[in-house]
Amino acid sequence: MKKIIVLQLLFFTVIMLAQQNDNLSIGFESNSQYYIDDEKTGDFTEPNRFRSNNYLKVDYSISKFSFGLQAEGYEPMSLLNYSPDFNKTTLALYYAKYTSKKIEATAGYFYEQYGSGLILRSWEDRQLGINNALRGGRIKFFPTEDIVLSALYGNQRSGFDVSDASIYGFNSELNISSMLKVNSWNLDLGLSYVGRKEESNNTDFNFNDLTNAFSSRIDFSKNNFYSSAEFVSKSNDALIIFDEIRNTKPGSAILFDVGYGKRGFGINANFRRIENMTFYSERSATGNIYNQNIVNYIPALTKQHDYLLTNIYVYQAQPQVSFQDFALLKIGEIGGQVDFFYTLKKKTALGGKYGTKIAVNMSYWAGLSGDYDYLNFEYDSDLLRFGKKYFSDISLEIRKKWSSDWSSVFYYVNQYYNKRYVEETFGIVKTDIFVSESTYKLGSGKSLRFEAQHLWSKDDKKNWVGGTVEFNLSSKLAVYVNDIYNYGNDDEMKKIHYYNLGGSYTIKGHRFALNYGRQRGGLICIGGVCRFVPESTGVTANIVLSF
Amino acid sequence: MKQLPLLTCILFCTIGFSQKSIPNSTLTTLEGRSVNIQDEISEDKITVLSFWATWCVPCINELDAISEVYEDWQESTNMELIAISTDDSRTQKRIRPMINGKGWPYKILLDKNQELKRALNISTIPQTFILKGSKIIYIHSGYSPGVEDELYQVIERNKN
Repeated sequence: MKKIIVLQLLFFTVIMLAQQNDNLSIGFESNSQYYIDDEKTGDFTEPNRFRSNNYLKVDYSISKFSFGLQAEGYEPMSLLNYSPDFNKTTLALYYAKYTSKKIEATAGYFYEQYGSGLILRSWEDRQLGINNALRGGRIKFFPTEDIVLSALYGNQRSGFDVSDASIYGFNSELNISSMLKVNSWNLDLGLSYVGRKEESNNTDFNFNDLTNAFSSRIDFSKNNFYSSAEFVSKSNDALIIFDEIRNTKPGSAILFDVGYGKRGFGINANFRRIENMTFYSERSATGNIYNQNIVNYIPALTKQHDYLLTNIYVYQAQPQVSFQDFALLKIGEIGGQVDFFYTLKKKTALGGKYGTKIAVNMSYWAGLSGDYDYLNFEYDSDLLRFGKKYFSDISLEIRKKWSSDWSSVFYYVNQYYNKRYVEETFGIVKTDIFVSESTYKLGSGKSLRFEAQHLWSKDDKKNWVGGTVEFNLSSKLAVYVNDIYNYGNDDEMKKIHYYNLGGSYTIKGHRFALNYGRQRGGLICIGGVCRFVPESTGVTANIVLSF
Repeated sequence: MKQLPLLTCILFCTIGFSQKSIPNSTLTTLEGRSVNIQDEISEDKITVLSFWATWCVPCINELDAISEVYEDWQESTNMELIAISTDDSRTQKRIRPMINGKGWPYKILLDKNQELKRALNISTIPQTFILKGSKIIYIHSGYSPGVEDELYQVIERNKN
C-alpha cells in the first residue's frame, strides 16, 4: 500500500516535470478488472476480485545520452492468466544509453531482435504478459552506412528477477548492393549468433552448458520482385519432455519468402520448416504456460484475423518436441502461406465508382514426417515431407465503398483445425465463417458501424452467431455493444451469450476505456483500437496516459 | 485510490503540453535498410506519422481513407505521410503485398521490434502524430470515419 502511494507521488512529480520539459517523456498504462460471479460460466473462485496491472515508464534524453526506467505494479494481484511472478509494485527496468553516428551503447535493460527473431527476440507485450528484456550491456557499431555490427551480453528478465543463464549475442547486417554502389538491385546479408549458458548437473545425457544458435539471412530485391531466405541451426541440447531430460537433439529452421508487387496488385508466398526450435533461457522453463524465459520468437505464419468468430480456432506455431502418447508425436512443423491483394480499378464494371479491394490468404501447416521411436524419445525426420495435417485456412476479403458515406467489408473464412495436434487434446474442427460489416458516416465526426457474423461447424462447439454495433459520437468518444452466441452447442448449459458493452474516450495520446461483459478471449477492436483480451466476466477499465 | 490517475489526467489533459520531438530511433525500409527516423522527417514540411499494422482494421480504414484524398492534401499543403508499420515477424511479410495491392502512396517504414512505438508510449494503434518540422503538434489515437477531416484541418492551420 505504501508503495502505491510512493509510486503515485512519483507519478505526479514526473508528470509535472514532463509538462515543462521537452526532453522528458512519460507513459502510464493501467489495466484493471473487477471479476464477478457468472451464473452461466461459474463463480469467480480465485483470490481478489479486483486486480490491476500498472506500468509507469519515464525516459529522459540530453544530447547524446538517454536514461529511462519502468516501474510496474500488480496490485493487489496481476490480472488473470499473467505469471504469478508479477506480484508486487517495484522498479522493473532501467537503462542508460549513448548514441552517436558511429556507436550506440546501452547498459541496463534493453530489447533486441536478430533477423525475424527465430534465434533471439526480447520484447514487451503487456496484453500477453511478456517482458523478456535482457539486463546487461549491448554495443552497436556503424562503421559505414552499409554495415551494422552489434554484440550483447545479459541475463533475461523473468518476473521481477533475472534468469541465472547468461545470454551472449552477436549480429551483423551488411548491405552488399550499396557497398558495390549498385542501384538496380538490392542485396542484404545478415549473420547472427546467440549463446545461452546454463549450468546443468545432469550426467545421464551428453550436452554442453552452452547452447549455440546461428542464423544466416539473405534478402534480394529487383524492381517489383523481392525474396528472402533464412537458415537457422541450434546445437545439440537437452530434450525436455514431461519436465525431464529424455534425450538430446539439435534444432533447425528454414524460411523462404518471395513476392511481387506493383500498384494495385501484390502477391507474397512464404515457406517455413522448423524442427525442435523452442529456446528458453532456463531449460526447466520449457513449455511454461506464461511465456516466461523465451529466448526466440516463432509466430504462427497464418493470417491474423480481425473478427470475434474468426479468432476462436487460432493456430499456434508448433516448434516443440512433444511425445504425448504413441499416436501423438510432434517434433516441429512444415508449411506456408500465400497472400494476394488486388484493387479493382475505379469506374470499371466490378470496381464501381470507388474501386473494390480484394485480399486472399491461404495457409497450410503440417507436422514433420519421419521415423519416431516413442519408447526411447528418439526420432529421425525427413527434410521436406509433410506429416499429419495441423491446420489450413482460406480467407477472402472484399472491401467496397458504395458512396462517400457508406462502405462495407465482406469476409469469408474456411478453416481446418486439428485440435488434437495443436492443443494436444482431441478432435478435428472444420469451420466456415462469414462476416459482413457496414459503416455509415453521419457527418460532423459521427458514424455507425454494424457487424454480423456466423460460424458454421459440425464439430466441437458447432454453430455460433455474432453481431456488433458501434457508435462513434465524435472522433474522441465511442460506444459499442457486441455479442457472440454459441447457439449450436449440443450442451444446453453451454449455449452462452458472450456479450460486451463499453465505451472509450481519447484525447491527444491519452485514452480511457470502460467495458462490462463476458469475454471469450481473442482480438477485440473497439472504437478504432485493437487489443487482445483473456476470458472472464466483469468490469474492465483501461487508462493510457502519455506526456 | 483508483481515481487518482483519472484526476491527474483531468488536471493535466486540459493544460497544453510542451512540444516534443520525435525520439532518436532506427527503423527499417521495405528493402531492409536501416534509417534514423529523424533523418526521414523534413524540417520544412508537415509530416504525418501514422502507426499501423496489417492486422489492424481501423488502421487500414484510416490509411485507405487518407489515400483517397492524399493527392489533394499534397497539392494544397506541403505535407507527407509516413506509415510506420508495427507488425512483428508474424505479419511483416504481408506488408509489401498489402500496400501494393491497396496502391497506398505513402512512404512505409518498419518498426520491427516496436522500439519507436515504445519510445512514444503508444499502447494502442492506430495512433497518428502531426509534426511541424520535427516538433509534435498534434496526436490522435484510434480511428473513426471522418478523423481524416480533422487531421487535414490541423495540417491546413499549420502549413507554411
